[in-house]
Amino acid sequence: MLKIENLVKVYGEKKAVDDLSLHIQPGEIYGFIGHNGAGKTTTLKACCGILQYDGGEIFVDGVSIKEDPIGCKKKIAYIPDNPDLYEFMTGIQFLNFVADIFGVSSEVRQERIRHYADAFELTKDLAQPISSYSHGMKQKLAIISALVHEPCLIIMDEPFVGLDPKATHLLKEIMKEMCSCGCAIFFSTHVLEVAEKLCDKVAIIKAGKLIRSGTMEEVKGDTSLEDVFLELEGEK
Amino acid sequence: MTKALLKKQMMEVFAWIYKNRKTGKLRSKQGMVGYIVLYLLLFALLGSVFFVAAITLCEPLVMSGLGWFYWCLMGLISVFFGVFGSVFNTYASLYQAKDNDFLLSMPIPTSRILLARMVGVYAMGLMYLLIVIVPTIIVWFMTVSISVSGLICVLLISILLSILILVLAAVLGWAVALIAGKLKHKNLVTVFASLVFIGAYYYFYARASVMLQDLLRNAENVSNQMKIVLYPLYHMGLAAEGNWLSMMFFAACVLAVFGIVYAVLSFSFLKLATTNRGAARKAYKEQAVKVRSIESALLQKELRRFLGSSNYMLNCGLGILFMPLGAAALVWKAADVRMFLELAALDNYIPLIAAAGIGVVATMNDITAPSVSLEGKSLWLVQVFPVTAKQALTAKLKLHLLLTVIPAIPLIAVVEWLLAMTPFYAIFVPVVSVLFIFLMAVLGLVINLKMPNLNWTNEIVPIKQSMGVMFALFGGWVIIIVSGVLYVLVKKFFGMEVYFVLISLLMLMVSGMLYRWLMTKGADIFQSLA
Repeated sequence: MLKIENLVKVYGEKKAVDDLSLHIQPGEIYGFIGHNGAGKTTTLKACCGILQYDGGEIFVDGVSIKEDPIGCKKKIAYIPDNPDLYEFMTGIQFLNFVADIFGVSSEVRQERIRHYADAFELTKDLAQPISSYSHGMKQKLAIISALVHEPCLIIMDEPFVGLDPKATHLLKEIMKEMCSCGCAIFFSTHVLEVAEKLCDKVAIIKAGKLIRSGTMEEVKGDTSLEDVFLELEGEK
Repeated sequence: MTKALLKKQMMEVFAWIYKNRKTGKLRSKQGMVGYIVLYLLLFALLGSVFFVAAITLCEPLVMSGLGWFYWCLMGLISVFFGVFGSVFNTYASLYQAKDNDFLLSMPIPTSRILLARMVGVYAMGLMYLLIVIVPTIIVWFMTVSISVSGLICVLLISILLSILILVLAAVLGWAVALIAGKLKHKNLVTVFASLVFIGAYYYFYARASVMLQDLLRNAENVSNQMKIVLYPLYHMGLAAEGNWLSMMFFAACVLAVFGIVYAVLSFSFLKLATTNRGAARKAYKEQAVKVRSIESALLQKELRRFLGSSNYMLNCGLGILFMPLGAAALVWKAADVRMFLELAALDNYIPLIAAAGIGVVATMNDITAPSVSLEGKSLWLVQVFPVTAKQALTAKLKLHLLLTVIPAIPLIAVVEWLLAMTPFYAIFVPVVSVLFIFLMAVLGLVINLKMPNLNWTNEIVPIKQSMGVMFALFGGWVIIIVSGVLYVLVKKFFGMEVYFVLISLLMLMVSGMLYRWLMTKGADIFQSLA
């Protein structure tokens, strides 16, 4: 579903991402871990077409994001680490706006909004302006907007930040459910316990370079993901 | 503790002097000096208006033995000006400061926090007061003989007036805090209130000279009434003339009011600063939705952005109101306008003046000029959605055109009716006007793409304080002036009809080129903005 080949992104003289390659299959939950400034967000942004890259190639469902960005974006949902949404809209206006952009029919969008807003306990706040939302509520709204058009690939940057325990649990369940339907999920996180329990595969990035990737078992072996991560970071 | 709080507050209030708001970087010493000189010149310019008023009033009143009345009038003007200048800032400074929560979490009594905030408001009010009071004092001592005790008196009066401004601004800020959020359509109410305020300001400004003359003619009657109605102000006037008893009375009045207001505000500060005063929460009810195309959804988003901000509407959309108002005014004053044009013998220039007039009012709409910058931190949304940059930019253009061309229709129609245009101009005045509106829409967007500012924390920065908006606004005026001057230069070669055709073609060509740039390079720039 997502194929990153030899990705390079340079900021000035600094290589933020250096020759990074990853393949994410449909139905996989792929965790992406690394310390702050390692290049995670840059990679994720490049994958969803927000950031131009300097080398390599990214394919979404076999289509180059450079060649057909609109075609790729139709299949993607992106949830950033800090959901800056349209504060001048109400929650429901924003969800309808996203549904319009993705061409979701009236009945389907209403059913999905009802389902996910109820699940995230956001229904009663949908008529409120987003400017009045807390960080967690914005995060929930961003998640619902990502699910409203049933994407094939969900890219998330620190999706659990700001969510309450119930919403965190729900998001994990939704991630599993989406993957069981063939959707692929690529997300970054600092919560290694979550990554360990949730991900089928994991990639560790350090200073822009991929230093380890594979199935969870391959990466962590008999130890914990935390131990492996700290060892690779030179902390142990 | 209080000293540290006051220092922080002063740094915040005067940050505009030493910090570039756009970049957040410190200004160089030369830059700082230049900025201060610029503001001093601006203050001097504004002060000159009050200097003229003071000159007009002072001598006749002093000669009539009504020196105290001069001080009452100038004092009232300074209080009005000071409150008018600082009240918009008061609510935000006192109750919406971003560090309210931070300071309230620290072991600082709320009364001290309020005091520090009020010092900030005081500094703003003082700046406005000085613009009026400095010329008032200069003119006073040009008229009466200067003495040490006289100087002390007027300085004390100035200090008391600055406290009075603080008190009134704080009370108004408190009232705004109480009703804020309970309004249903806060943005539209703000726009309406601001327009009423601006209208009143211009009304009084335009009639100032007549009012001053009326006042001087009826000085005795008005001063007698003022003695009764505004008794403390009467004593302020006497105090300025050197009456120390009156000084003590006026000072006692001001300080008592300040004490009461400070006590009331201290009592309610914590509640007002921490309570979420949002409007009554509207329960969400599922409703049938209208499915929109991508283009329509993007246009609706732009419209919501515009209607969701009183700043955006007031600074970039006044033409929407002024064009129909202009049309109504022309109908109302049709006879006067016709007479003026006859007297001025401007027959040969009428179509050009008509088109220029429509253009000038249309430049009050510069909706596209800050539209890219206003995407701010939410720009990622249109970049990540399956919409092309062309579609996103076109939506911005469409909004500008819709909100400018539609209100221009009644104005154009009235101008054509009023000036009884020939069939040629009946076609070409609207053509030139619409082409000009299109050119301004495209130009605003091009300039904003070339000078975007996405890292703002207050939307007023891209709306009001960006070079792009200034260029877009003044660019329109330059185009109008150059078009007029150009006609005067070339009229001996061809007539106005040919000139209208040529100028239409030129605008079509330039706007076409800019539009093409927008849809190609501009779209690439928009897509790569971060």
